[in-house]
Amino acid sequence: MPGKVVTVKRRAKLGWLERTYIPMVVKSLVTTSRHFFRNMRGFLTGKNLTFVVQYPEQTLDYADAFRGMPVLVGLDNGNPKCVACGLCEFACPTDCISIVPGELESAGIERYPEVFDIDMSRCMFCGLCEEACPEEAIVMSRETEIAGFDRKSLMFHKEDLLVPDTLLKRRLEFLRSEYDREHAPRASKS
Amino acid sequence: MEDFGSTALRRLLEVHGSSVRHTHANLGDATVVVDPTHIVEVLRFLRDDGELEFEMLMDVTAVDYVEEEPRFEVVYHLYSLARNHRVRVKARVPEASPVIDSAVDIWPSANWMEREVFDLYGVRFEGHPDLRRILLYDEFEGHPLRKDYPKERRQPLVGPRN
Amino acid sequence: MVEDIRLTQRRTDTTEDDSERDLHTEHQILNMGPSHPATHGTVKFLIELDGESIVDLDIQVGYLHRGFEKECESGTWYQAIPYTDRLNYNSAILANLGYCLAVEKLLDLETPERCQWLRVLGGELSRLGDHLTRCGAACLEMQAMTPFLYGIQARELCWDLQEELCGARVTSNYVRIGGVKHDLPPSFPALYRENAARIRTLLADFDDVVTSNRIFVDRVRGTGILSKEDCIRYSVTGPLLRAAGVPYDIRKAEPYLVYDQIDFDVPIGEVGDNYDRYLVCVEEMHQSLKIADQCVEKLEALGPGPVNVDDPRVRWPAKNRVFNRMEELIQQFKSVTEGPRVPAGEAYTAVESANGELGFYVVSDGSAVPYKVRCRPPSFINLQPMPKMVKGDLLADIIPTFDFINMIGGECDR
Repeated sequence: MPGKVVTVKRRAKLGWLERTYIPMVVKSLVTTSRHFFRNMRGFLTGKNLTFVVQYPEQTLDYADAFRGMPVLVGLDNGNPKCVACGLCEFACPTDCISIVPGELESAGIERYPEVFDIDMSRCMFCGLCEEACPEEAIVMSRETEIAGFDRKSLMFHKEDLLVPDTLLKRRLEFLRSEYDREHAPRASKS
Repeated sequence: MEDFGSTALRRLLEVHGSSVRHTHANLGDATVVVDPTHIVEVLRFLRDDGELEFEMLMDVTAVDYVEEEPRFEVVYHLYSLARNHRVRVKARVPEASPVIDSAVDIWPSANWMEREVFDLYGVRFEGHPDLRRILLYDEFEGHPLRKDYPKERRQPLVGPRN
Repeated sequence: MVEDIRLTQRRTDTTEDDSERDLHTEHQILNMGPSHPATHGTVKFLIELDGESIVDLDIQVGYLHRGFEKECESGTWYQAIPYTDRLNYNSAILANLGYCLAVEKLLDLETPERCQWLRVLGGELSRLGDHLTRCGAACLEMQAMTPFLYGIQARELCWDLQEELCGARVTSNYVRIGGVKHDLPPSFPALYRENAARIRTLLADFDDVVTSNRIFVDRVRGTGILSKEDCIRYSVTGPLLRAAGVPYDIRKAEPYLVYDQIDFDVPIGEVGDNYDRYLVCVEEMHQSLKIADQCVEKLEALGPGPVNVDDPRVRWPAKNRVFNRMEELIQQFKSVTEGPRVPAGEAYTAVESANGELGFYVVSDGSAVPYKVRCRPPSFINLQPMPKMVKGDLLADIIPTFDFINMIGGECDR
């Protein structure tokens, strides 16, 4: 195993010059000025180099893997893709999903969710529902602005959750990139 | 009883064989179940023995085996810096008198850990200098990690203390 | 108050010499916390002061107790993973990892190589973020705003990397029993190189304005000393123990995952004061970046490969098979509704978290629900000897000492 134990370089005593504060004042001023002028240059050239974002006028682009609010994927005909199997309900650690299934007469899909509620005040964005779903019907969107004035407004119903799949392209593409990955055969330790 | 190739178990069986109830080394963790009345002797021996040198008490916790008797199992995890090995020491205490001797005299770090076990399981540590609740407040009723404590149980409201 | 009375009783025991009695001085009891601007953690100190020096200190924890262990006992083994995220908001992946390794030990499971490197990478990013918060916030609470901003900027970059890897900045929920959530995104290596270079620059700036700054050094040097022997007696682990000069790092002592193939150093201090703790943390950040560099390189060299074990009893089946094959679909239903059944037994595993030894002791009765999940919280145990560290010091020394202990309320109180 490479690597060793190193003792940190501890300054047992500061030199007299350092104890006058002068070198540090100069050094720190140089460092902070460097940051100041760099940020200033960014401001003047219109390229923001600081970490401050003028929300809500500006927003950041999240990563591909980002998990926001869970939503239902809508089909072209406006119905949810969900078949109300209830796996997300089981997988959810906080029990925030409640589903009441209904039956359809049509040939293709026989079941649909009559009620599909997500209590956003309990959801913790873990993504287990998405992982459990066998139909690619519930996915974590990029939506994060879900604050409300009372708890009732944080109860999201089927209509609020339904998002057409064209708007969820990025997430679906990210998920699909993982689908083809097979798992490795089990190797026992002993 | 077998030592499973572990120095700790071998030495314990040699010296404190009479207080050892059971040993196992499932999944590579050397484990010994000892008589609760001799727990302090065993722990002190494990710390002081020249071949073992378990100088760190890593963890004290308890498990509630609600359907078994004795009901509570106090679990100690020890680690030896000098020899880089671990041992798990367990002792069963009954529900009627969940009392075990405190290890604070051996390791001062046992203080808070034992207070936590007392708080959450109601196991009393005899000889502990300051046995009061640590994570919960004094007015809390019951011991929440016991299996017969329902998760949904509400606690009475407590007013300001002063 | 109950505690006040206790302290008062103790006070009457101490003998004071006559001159002090003549001056009619008496000890003052100061309540600090539970929500104090100079402590980044919800904890209450009852400080007994003689003038400005600390005579006694009683620490009250538990303000963030939310029944983590009880909650774990009410769901499946899988459902406990998101709760481990919430233990330590700075290093969630390390807590995920500790829990999953303990369950995998019970299941006697070996994860694929690529998965192990991914876990190491995630863990080191977490550690980096944790140390950045610790050092940055310590500076802030000692009235140094600029280094705090540099530290938080670096942490922001680190969290961007975590977001790219896991999908969330803080509550990563990345590690799974028998694998990880998903593979390294293709965009990650380029972003990592860019951000790692910027983090290194910021660390250099941080070092410039802090390390030999007399104001900082005067505040931290010689304060909060805990000797090697006391550290061992009080079971202190992590950077605090290493700062006292004990080179104990679980990554070296009992290498888990692929740490035995990775080249990194273990920094140790000499005295065990806050200055040593600071220096050890700074060095560990550089080592974490070094490890993460190696992980990214290795992951690129390994090429695409599986990141989960193919064991339908443990890991949920691969999605393409769930969509296209009947058997796997049934398996998916079974494993989600029931969760993995873990063989009866008990296991303890420890990982080196940013604060010290994060151990998980799990007990299974053979069912799909954990019988007991015990988390050995490093910050709870590291906080215990704090009265010993600060007794006799000045009131102001509580701040740096508490900062470098880095108590995280979520982990301490669970």
